[in-house]
Amino acid sequence: MTEVPAKTAPAKAPAEAAGSRLWLGGLACGAGVVLAAPSMVLAAVLLLPSLLAFVADRDPGRAAARSVAVFGIAFALAPALALWRGGGGMDACLDVLSNFTALPLAWSAQAGGWLLSELAPLLVRLALDAHAAARTRRLRALRRRYEEDWGIPPA
Amino acid sequence: MADTAFAENEAKSPEPGALAPPGRIEGGFAVDPTRRLAALAGHATFAATERGDDRAALVAMQVAPGAPPRAQALSLLAVTSLERVMGPLGQGAAPDAAGQPAWFVVCRVPPGPALWPANAPAPRPWSDAELLDCLLRPVAAALETLQARHVTHRAIRPDNLFRPAQGEPVTLGPAWAAPPASFQPVLFEPPYAALCHKAGRGEGSIADDVYALGVTMIVLATGRLPMAGLSEAEIIRRKVDLGSYAALTAETRLSPAIADLVRGMLAEDPDHRPTPALLSDPDAARARRVASRPPHRAQRALEHGDMVIWTARMLALALAGDPEEAARLLRTGVVDRWLRRSLGDSALAARIEEACRQRNSEAEADNPRADGVLVARAVALLDPLAPLCWRGVALWPDGLGALLADAAGDAQRLAVLRDLVESEAIGVWAAARPERCDVMVLRADAQHHHSLLRLRGWAGGLSRLTYALNPLLACRSPRLGAGMVVRLADLLPALEAVAAPHAAATPPLPAPLDAPPIDPEIAAFLAARLEQRIERDLALIADPADRDRAARAQLRLLAWLQRRTRAPALPALAAWLAAHLRPGLANWRGRKRREMLEKTTGELVRTGQLPALLALLDDPQARAQDQADAQAADEAVRAIDAELQRILEARSARAALARRVGREIALSAALVALAIAAVAAAMA
Repeated sequence: MTEVPAKTAPAKAPAEAAGSRLWLGGLACGAGVVLAAPSMVLAAVLLLPSLLAFVADRDPGRAAARSVAVFGIAFALAPALALWRGGGGMDACLDVLSNFTALPLAWSAQAGGWLLSELAPLLVRLALDAHAAARTRRLRALRRRYEEDWGIPPA
Repeated sequence: MADTAFAENEAKSPEPGALAPPGRIEGGFAVDPTRRLAALAGHATFAATERGDDRAALVAMQVAPGAPPRAQALSLLAVTSLERVMGPLGQGAAPDAAGQPAWFVVCRVPPGPALWPANAPAPRPWSDAELLDCLLRPVAAALETLQARHVTHRAIRPDNLFRPAQGEPVTLGPAWAAPPASFQPVLFEPPYAALCHKAGRGEGSIADDVYALGVTMIVLATGRLPMAGLSEAEIIRRKVDLGSYAALTAETRLSPAIADLVRGMLAEDPDHRPTPALLSDPDAARARRVASRPPHRAQRALEHGDMVIWTARMLALALAGDPEEAARLLRTGVVDRWLRRSLGDSALAARIEEACRQRNSEAEADNPRADGVLVARAVALLDPLAPLCWRGVALWPDGLGALLADAAGDAQRLAVLRDLVESEAIGVWAAARPERCDVMVLRADAQHHHSLLRLRGWAGGLSRLTYALNPLLACRSPRLGAGMVVRLADLLPALEAVAAPHAAATPPLPAPLDAPPIDPEIAAFLAARLEQRIERDLALIADPADRDRAARAQLRLLAWLQRRTRAPALPALAAWLAAHLRPGLANWRGRKRREMLEKTTGELVRTGQLPALLALLDDPQARAQDQADAQAADEAVRAIDAELQRILEARSARAALARRVGREIALSAALVALAIAAVAAAMA
């Protein structure tokens, strides 16, 4: 009797997984629109830059879009509470959206989030390059000392 | 009176202003080069004095270059006072008349004039009584003394025998400042010594002195030289052909008493000559008759050139004189046929035939060395009394050293002697006459000579052999200039003297400082004089591939020599060596260590202490440490290079990292904002 290795289920292809997620997302959105249309409208308007960022961000993982979205959500919480306190109807939704502070603040926050996610890598890179340059200088000076002391030919 | 008599012979002294001051030599003797005396025993002679006794009349005989004094005789006789012999008192280097260093042998002033000085008119014939009382007995006693000390004289002749006045016993002149018998005319030598090159006659035996005394007795008894006007070759030929006594007395008549004595003294076989002890009693010596068989004469002569050969002895002489023709005669069977058919000596013919067969089986037809061996063997077989005859050069084995010294500069003769040593011809010759010599000893000597010649590099070769066989031969290195280096202790002062005038010179150094101190000639001299083996260091010195190692080997040898001879400070020589060692300092990897070595080398050069310089520059531990440190430095530099390369190659990785970290920072800030908003909403 020979031992037969157990058959393992083949891993789902990433494209297939993404398709599934998209399908589930669409289903959730559809359910949201049907069950809480004003809230969904408010969220769609306030988080419009985040939606655009998710569309524009082609990086794997979409880290920048995620930052923009989190900033958007942070500044969409207060208008959402105002909607739900106002009964959660379409009128309340329009009241909240017609408020001059909620929309610009949410969009500005998302723009700031986008700016931060673009500038932070730049600053980190500058810091890393500076550190590498300093280390290179120290190593070259050490090498020159060895060359003088031990007659080692320059690189 | 003796001093007066010798002073009369003083030669005219050169201008005093041009001369060096008197130089002191070993034993506290001082040579005065301004007082040249009449030549003595063939040597230029100067007045000498002894420290603490300026009145002692001494003579210093100048040793000729290439003719080293007799080391064995000098060492055996220097410590003893000899009766009726002008024994050596001391020896050493001192300036000669030209101010150049020379080697001198000091002995007492002769007790009177020579019996028959060179170029002087013939003396009156001596009476028998005078011959016996004034010549034979005192010389026999002197020879007996020498024999007891295992020394021969080899210079007994009328111009080297001295006496204060008529009727007084004679004194043997000096015979120590040149190779044995090298100044002896052919007439006074046994034919088998006369046949040899003057430098190759060897120490011989006391019987050779008895022979010379016999000839001297004939000369003084007759008042003339026998065979005067004949060439040396003709004298030898007559002696061999007729026998010495017959040849020397052919034109004269001796009294029966003297004739009986002289006949025995001139016997061809040294074993048949009376001993000095026997000669001290002339009556007993006369009564002693040794029956020696006259050489067997052939029924028909063999003609060779202008020689008509009747005996094996004459045949040996003819073969020795013309080695190429001799080889042809031997190989074509002419010799053994003549021996068998005309001389009737079939045993000898068989031995010659066997020698020819051996030669033909061992080497091809046109092999000069094989021919040389054949002729040497044939001569020894034909006449066991004959010396070694090698390709036209005759010598006694113990004369090889002096002959090599004499042949310096004569490439042809040196080539013949090299061939002799390489063929181990001395062993071959000894094996052909085993009853006449110690074959084992001579064969071992020949093998030893050959081994010295075979040594590779500067430790071997003819120079090494020459110095090994001549303990008192001065080093002939051109590097020493006029310096006189006979003993090890003389070498360092001589090199210091060479370097001293150029002590302040900077590179490029002038000659001879442009090359290291030890050259091939000095190397051979050192190898021969040192008891310990220095072949390894000499091989390093001769290696052109590594000059630094060669220079350090030079320093090692000279430092060892300075320590051993307790030589004083040698700053000029140290500077000379340092100049050739400095390029090697570049081999030290560590800059700091190198700078320290350069600085300390300069300081040690000023002290002139070679051992200290050696300890500094030839320190294996420091060198190993330098290598280890250099290796560590190499590894560190390799690590640095690798890290630099890594930094260079990590640019894109750094960019990716920066992007990821930056995005995470942004996300973290967003999450913080979300948390704050959530808290604010909850509180509201």
